[in-house]
Amino acid sequence: MSPALRQMLDPTLFWEYRAVLLQGLMQNLSIFAESAILATVPAAIVAVVQRGRIAPLRWIATGYTELCRNTPEYVLLVWVYFVLPLVISKVIGSRFRLDPHAAAVIGLGVAYSGFMAETLRAGLRSIHPGQAEAAAAIGMSPFKTLRRIILPQALRRILPDLVNQLVSLFKSTTIVSLITVQDIMYQVSMISVAEMRPIPLYTGAAVLYCVVIILATQLFQGLTERWRKRGWS
Amino acid sequence: MLDQVEPIIRVTDLHKSYADTEVLRGISIAIAPKSVVSVIGASGSGKSTFLRCLNFLERPTSGTIAIDGESASIGQGPAPSARNIARLRAKLGMVFQQFNLWPHMTVLGNVTEGLTQVKHMARKEAAELGRHFLSKVNLLDKQNEYPAKLSGGQQQRVAIARALAMQPKVMLFDEATSSLDPELTIEVLEVMRALANDGMTMLVVTHEMGFARDASDRVIFLHNGRIEEDGAPDQVFLAPSSERCQKFISSALG
Repeated sequence: MSPALRQMLDPTLFWEYRAVLLQGLMQNLSIFAESAILATVPAAIVAVVQRGRIAPLRWIATGYTELCRNTPEYVLLVWVYFVLPLVISKVIGSRFRLDPHAAAVIGLGVAYSGFMAETLRAGLRSIHPGQAEAAAAIGMSPFKTLRRIILPQALRRILPDLVNQLVSLFKSTTIVSLITVQDIMYQVSMISVAEMRPIPLYTGAAVLYCVVIILATQLFQGLTERWRKRGWS
Repeated sequence: MLDQVEPIIRVTDLHKSYADTEVLRGISIAIAPKSVVSVIGASGSGKSTFLRCLNFLERPTSGTIAIDGESASIGQGPAPSARNIARLRAKLGMVFQQFNLWPHMTVLGNVTEGLTQVKHMARKEAAELGRHFLSKVNLLDKQNEYPAKLSGGQQQRVAIARALAMQPKVMLFDEATSSLDPELTIEVLEVMRALANDGMTMLVVTHEMGFARDASDRVIFLHNGRIEEDGAPDQVFLAPSSERCQKFISSALG
């Protein structure tokens, strides 16, 4: 192997830049966590509304999920970052800016709320109506029935699906550099331009993502396993 | 008999329709406290719907239901409020064909859920009461198990304890043994008999002709959403005045 080639492949380059890269990863992690939390709000509202009796609300909810699920995340990000501030500026009549981090959280949060709403809805529907009837028969209110009887069962049932969605959400955070968030991909591309050695950097990023996701899913699996051992699920 | 005591249940002209099928076509009945009434009839006769209308799991199309002083009417005046229905439900305990235990709670959790969440009883007090009712159905030793670990008969007994824990005035049994194997049916019927002996008012929709005949004070035969025969078990089983009832009983006992 020629010295030039060896230098090109040298994995220690990734280590040299660990501080900046870690900073980038923290951006990804925080965008991931914030958008995951943000996504649950519309997802829960949509799922509950779709169980309800008010038809127009159901239509709006369906429209919302379809819009979220069928718009590419990249388009949503760009729209939230560039178009939404313009719209808001027009409405409030003064200049409004959204910082890239916030735009990324909103864009990804909205995108994934559609998937989450669908999963949640399917989970709620999968619980046998007899479960709610037994609660009604002892005089439990519909809201409490949802919270105490239906939701706990539905959540455990959809957990594997939810984990898959969280994994994709985390993977999706790699596109936030497109709206100038200084995440790990942003850092990697900057450093590889400066160093002219993209191989160790991009490979390192791939491995790092993979390791983080595997660790996180293992954690969730441990949790589901514990529930299974309790004799149900 | 009904002339002497105030009935605990009084149903007046109860109707229930789904789209264009009328399932209940005017049921009126008064039931004395502490009596055990079996409701029999072919499938589709409306017997389960009748029971489920009493606690508004099915909303009647019209009629009045009065239970122990709490009444709800549909078809005249304002529709019953959620509170009205909740008060009605508080008087009634219900046991389902499919048990409907909550799988994510322990046996004791199932029994105390209504006490802590609906009656807002303190946890410790609820657990004590829950254990009392679990021992009544002989399942105190299973209090910390999850329902999935129990046999069908045991699950149904837990469901009975869960309903009893709310201390209802009347117990409704909706084909409580229909999804059980014969040997498990026996243990559930025993619990029901014991409950009847304790003086609980019971309304029992059942296919168990043995139970209807020798554990109930009164048997009602439903046909096409109407009460076709109503009387003491011996009368209904041995000398029914309706031909349809006669046929049903001879085929059910056959």
